[in-house]
Amino acid sequence: MLRWMTLLTDDISRLASGEPILADPNPELAIGAARFSAYVGFGPSLFRKLGLESQMPSGFGPLPSFKVDQLQDQFSGGDVLIHIAADDPIVLSHGTRGLIRDSLPFASVRYSQSGFAHTPGMVPAGLTHRNLMGQVDGTANPKPGSEDFNEVVWIEDGPAWIQGGTQLVFRRIAMQLNTWDQLGTASKEEVIGRKLSNGAPLTGVNEEDAPDFAARHPNGLTVIPDFAHIRRASPQNVTDRMFRRPFSYEASPASDGTPDVGLLWTAYQRDMTKQFIPVQRRLDELDLLNEWTVPIGSAEFAIAGGIARGEIIAQALFS
Amino acid sequence: MPPAADNLGNDMRKIAALLTLLPLLAGCAPQGTVEITDYWVKSSEMSTQGGMTAVYGTITNTTGDDVVLIGGSTDAAGVVEVHQMSMIGGEMKMQEIDGGLVIPAGQSVTLEPGGDHLMLMMLKTDVVAGGTIEVLFDFEGAEDIILSDVVGKPAEGGDEEYHSGEMEMDN
Ligand code: HEM
Ligand SMILES: [Cu+2]
Repeated sequence: MLRWMTLLTDDISRLASGEPILADPNPELAIGAARFSAYVGFGPSLFRKLGLESQMPSGFGPLPSFKVDQLQDQFSGGDVLIHIAADDPIVLSHGTRGLIRDSLPFASVRYSQSGFAHTPGMVPAGLTHRNLMGQVDGTANPKPGSEDFNEVVWIEDGPAWIQGGTQLVFRRIAMQLNTWDQLGTASKEEVIGRKLSNGAPLTGVNEEDAPDFAARHPNGLTVIPDFAHIRRASPQNVTDRMFRRPFSYEASPASDGTPDVGLLWTAYQRDMTKQFIPVQRRLDELDLLNEWTVPIGSAEFAIAGGIARGEIIAQALFS
Repeated sequence: MPPAADNLGNDMRKIAALLTLLPLLAGCAPQGTVEITDYWVKSSEMSTQGGMTAVYGTITNTTGDDVVLIGGSTDAAGVVEVHQMSMIGGEMKMQEIDGGLVIPAGQSVTLEPGGDHLMLMMLKTDVVAGGTIEVLFDFEGAEDIILSDVVGKPAEGGDEEYHSGEMEMDN
């Protein structure tokens, strides 16, 4: 594992600065960094295979199953995750090839799932991206760099290798757009509890307005309905929050035109047992959004803390 | 506070964001030296004990005179030779370069798969991906260079065809 991580560490640092990796057969494709980034995560099955269970961060392990799950093997699990991102598809493809090539002496490819967000410049800075249901997605997130974010995301204790790292829950969630598209705007907004136009809560005007879950219509019904996604997902105590970073995916449409789209839904947190799982349990119980969304892939990975020059990713775990 | 936190961009590019902050290794050699950069050794199914492989990299000569790579040595191999690839009878074959590989004054020469390389034969140990070996480059007209951290990189193609064929006869 350490030799593998040695290669990946060097590759990622070169690609992130727009350089070809060592032994790159196509160095001419290193046309720029394009904000290339990649990190490596380790699944519960890897810890088991290597007898490293004692090195798992607290709260980390295989997810329980949920009623909404219709998981497929081809999109789920995995010993090691390499999450690769870049602003340019050619740079991304070339970098991915290099990282896979340098992984082949150690592993084989279980799946590769590609996703996307907006082209840089399409959305003004500060505005949250839209998913393929048309919703502004990612509003109620801790703000990267804030103390709040640090507390939600970065692990502070446990085995040395994971300090400064985090836990990732990855879900591939299919969207049933054909039936979703039959809803009118008002119904779509009630399903989430936010406006489609700008992502403002149904009780507010601007995206960043705090939702008022107590507000009622004159007829007595809550403005943000009891079944609304944000009511069900919003934190019920101080710990059950996470940082969500959704990407969209699109596979080929069926012959009848039914789209095969959804989210590569990711959430980062200190402790998935205290953060993701209780929220997913609530959504499993009640969330009208479940009518149009189906989790078809699922995996969890522990991600080592950041490194300085001369260090190797997860060195302390594999030394 | 975890050290990684401050390096986060406005999205989750965190761990890699740290890597992007790594300062680039200073690229410029002082005047008048011979330097080898971006060096590596091929790790493949051939690079096992008794087998063969090759070392690659970029040799830059900033001295005022030509220098010649005439050979090398390493604990990892019994035989080290400077090879080139050339068309012989319609086939790409490799052979030792007569008199060594010239790196002209002020120029760089890249050793790469399918081109010039420092050939390691009769390997004494396996050359594995992500492992390192120490290699000495023997120059005429300049000091020898010892690289203690030549990393094994998985790679395909290049000289492999020939390796499995007439290698033994020519050498
Ligand atoms: C395809 C599936 C999903 C879609 C389309 C979706 C969409 C949305 C949208 C549009 C919002 C409101 C804007 C925002 O704050 O980001 C939201 C909020 C949220 N979602 Fe989801 N979501 C999905 C799955 C999930 C899952 C699986 C979870 C967790 C188990 C989750 C947890 C949350 C949380 C915690 C919030 C913020 C609630 C608040 O505090 O206001 N979502 N989601
Ligand atoms: Cu050769």
